[in-house]
Amino acid sequence: MLADLRAVVGTNGIIVERNQLQTYECDGLTALRTLPAAVVLPRSRDEVQAIVRICAQHRIPFVARGAGTGLSGGALPAANGIVISFARMNRILSVDIPNQRITVEPGVINTHVTQRVAPSGYFYAPDPSSQTVCTIGGNVAENAGGAHCLKYGFTTTHVLALDVILPSGEFVQFGSTTVDAPGYDLTGVFVGSEGTLGVVTAITLRIVKRAETVQVLLAAYNSIAAAGQTVSDIIAASILPAAMEIMDRLSIKAAEASVHPNYPDCEALLLVELDGPVAEVHLHMQQVREICRANGAWEDRLAQSEHERLLVWKGRKAAFAAAGRLAPNYIVQDGVIPRTKLPIILEEIGRMASETGLRVTNVFHAGDGNLHPIVLYNASIPGQEEIAVDLSIRILHRCVDHGGSLRGKHGVGKEKQQAMGYMYSEPDLNTMQLVRCAFDPHQIANPDKLFPRPRLCGEKSGPYIPHPLEVAGVAEYF
Amino acid sequence: MPSTMPDSTSLQTFADDLAAISGLEHLRVDGGAFTIAPASTEEVAAVLHCANKSGFSVVPIGGGTKQSWGNPVRPSLLLHTHRLSTLREHTWQDMTCTVEAGCVWSSMQASLAKHGQFVALDPLWPEHSTIGGIAATNDSGSLRLRYGSLRDLIIGMTIVLADGTIARSGGKVVKNVAGYDLHKLMTGAFGTLGVITEITLRLHSIPRHMQSFTISSPDVEPLGKLLLKLLDSHLSTQSLQLRSTNSGFYLDVRLATLPEVIHDQANSLSQIAQSVQLEACNSDSDVWNARQQHLDWPEHFVVKATMLPSDISRLTATIRALGGTSVTQAVGIMTATLPIAASSQLEPLREKLEAIHGSLTILRNPVNTTMPVSSSPEDTLPLMRELKQRFDPNRILNPGRFLGGI
Repeated sequence: MLADLRAVVGTNGIIVERNQLQTYECDGLTALRTLPAAVVLPRSRDEVQAIVRICAQHRIPFVARGAGTGLSGGALPAANGIVISFARMNRILSVDIPNQRITVEPGVINTHVTQRVAPSGYFYAPDPSSQTVCTIGGNVAENAGGAHCLKYGFTTTHVLALDVILPSGEFVQFGSTTVDAPGYDLTGVFVGSEGTLGVVTAITLRIVKRAETVQVLLAAYNSIAAAGQTVSDIIAASILPAAMEIMDRLSIKAAEASVHPNYPDCEALLLVELDGPVAEVHLHMQQVREICRANGAWEDRLAQSEHERLLVWKGRKAAFAAAGRLAPNYIVQDGVIPRTKLPIILEEIGRMASETGLRVTNVFHAGDGNLHPIVLYNASIPGQEEIAVDLSIRILHRCVDHGGSLRGKHGVGKEKQQAMGYMYSEPDLNTMQLVRCAFDPHQIANPDKLFPRPRLCGEKSGPYIPHPLEVAGVAEYF
Repeated sequence: MPSTMPDSTSLQTFADDLAAISGLEHLRVDGGAFTIAPASTEEVAAVLHCANKSGFSVVPIGGGTKQSWGNPVRPSLLLHTHRLSTLREHTWQDMTCTVEAGCVWSSMQASLAKHGQFVALDPLWPEHSTIGGIAATNDSGSLRLRYGSLRDLIIGMTIVLADGTIARSGGKVVKNVAGYDLHKLMTGAFGTLGVITEITLRLHSIPRHMQSFTISSPDVEPLGKLLLKLLDSHLSTQSLQLRSTNSGFYLDVRLATLPEVIHDQANSLSQIAQSVQLEACNSDSDVWNARQQHLDWPEHFVVKATMLPSDISRLTATIRALGGTSVTQAVGIMTATLPIAASSQLEPLREKLEAIHGSLTILRNPVNTTMPVSSSPEDTLPLMRELKQRFDPNRILNPGRFLGGI
């Protein structure tokens, strides 16, 4: 079988040496590691197809890998399976500015798409924090979002068509460069399917005209509830910001200590970004400032330059990595809650945390309810890691109890596989399995991911170990 | 495809079972079919379970406005959804709502308007069509430019499968959720994979100030150029469509932003129009009804064509040359009427569209030609058939309605 693969990709396109394979044994979730049998690096759709055909013939599990920045173990190999790395399929295939479309290979880096169309005043909207390293293929698998998903949506909003190799090795095309392609919305079900339905070899994306201007405001409050109310009032005023973020006192402290964005020292910080035509943004921002003050913001500060604006965001993005300054170890959780429930949830988290003696810091994408509680702990204290893991899972369950979901943007993958059973009932999961079986009846496409399997009970959730990319300062954990 | 031909005993059993589920008062016999109006998702599940056991075919029906779309079906049972009409939840602060599938569109919007919000879509027959039927057919209009399609607006669904399984997809929150987006698969599936009983939608604030402008021209090409320029501009364009009637070609633009800003943008619009030697005027009030008017045109073919924005003016000219009229949304969706005399030109038109990555779907066929209703993607048809087979192995849901006879 290895010989067959070597015949497809050449000796330089296959890795079988153990020490080289170790690079591929995990992704951004470094707590979980499995050594694959081999890694292949195809250069073309034909090579990908030939590889998948070999896997189909021998029933070998496979997983696609882009940059390996995923935080839920999506690119974790199956034991004795192979990894299909798209590092060498990173070309931009075609650009159509008048029709606002671009077609790329899956290994193209997210920001490179924007770079290609920026001279014409366009950008590719989904902006996960790892966007300077993560790839479009991975974005498609995870339906990646980003800070601006409130206004601009997720990857799925921007995918028009996919070239796909099904787990059988068949090549098919989903969607079209034109909208409303007839038939079932196979593109829609494929995006976010975490590699369990096949492998993408080309993606047609929608690009968006850059707004004429962008402004960001910081507002300081004495309570989370007041910041949350401000968000509601902004929405009630028919204003749709590009992004809205809330940080609590502890996360502000962490950000300040590491990046020095000069945030006000407060209980809750609200960040509001507006973009659009100049006159519209100017007037809307005036309204937003009035709303902040009406809700008791004791300071509201508009970034005066692009440099200041980027610093505001740098601080927000540092809130995670900076948690490392507050405690030796931490676990990041990723939940979604209705925004109206934020004050209640935070109060509950605070109570649950103090019961365990641990601290939890919170960052919240206010526009759409994505909450990141960060559980701080010290692994060198016996038993504390277990308590921290347990607390983080209980917090996740509370999110679901309050009408939310257990995944914001980091995928289910391996990490939250069991928790899927908490959120979805048996019929829901069985119905999803109908789709999976239609695409992959022999279960070789990234098996053992996404859906709970009884025999895998008891695996650990993710204590935070910084990804080498983060340590190197190349990527940030958002 | 014809419905199953059951014998009288099994029909009687079926009728008894249906009456036991929803009550005799909600069961009727209508021509060769039964009709039933269940009151809840659970009753819908019981009805389907019952029909599936004996292989009786079922067509779900909301307002019945689009029953003639797709291939004809002659079911044993019409499942009416009008008793599933409640707006269950409107969490305006989270900008979401959950509504039962049989709720009439206009009454749903009227309820949502109490908090200044709406589902950002302008479907056909809004006073009669239901959210379930609109989702099943993936209808969209001029608001699609700014707000996207139902694929972007629907965040969750409750569906009932052919065997009576009740499944939930997506969630109640706008953010990305775990698992497969089954609700995307159901959207536009014409009721062939399951019956939608409840939908959770993402909402927007109702725009407070809008103004519409029309640029007319004896030639379509300058309007095509203008359309692309406007897509590339910084105007707060909510809707943009190119119309072709017997009296000429028109580009309609609707701006939605603050009043002071609309005034300035109107000036910018005029300048852009002048760059192709054209003039922007205030619109007539009913230009945004053009798509509906096309659907209501009697004794003509009505077709939906998809294309790239840069091909809109060319295809508009083609339709005009065939004696038809059209209105095309800037995203690349055309609704056109064609005279019966042009029936032999439909197949070449479809081929022309497919050659440029588009498609042609026949929405009304006044002469019952044998031409397939829809373009059919050959490579994915087996996969679609496989999905149908898994979701509805006994083929009871809208059998034959979909492309490829699915």
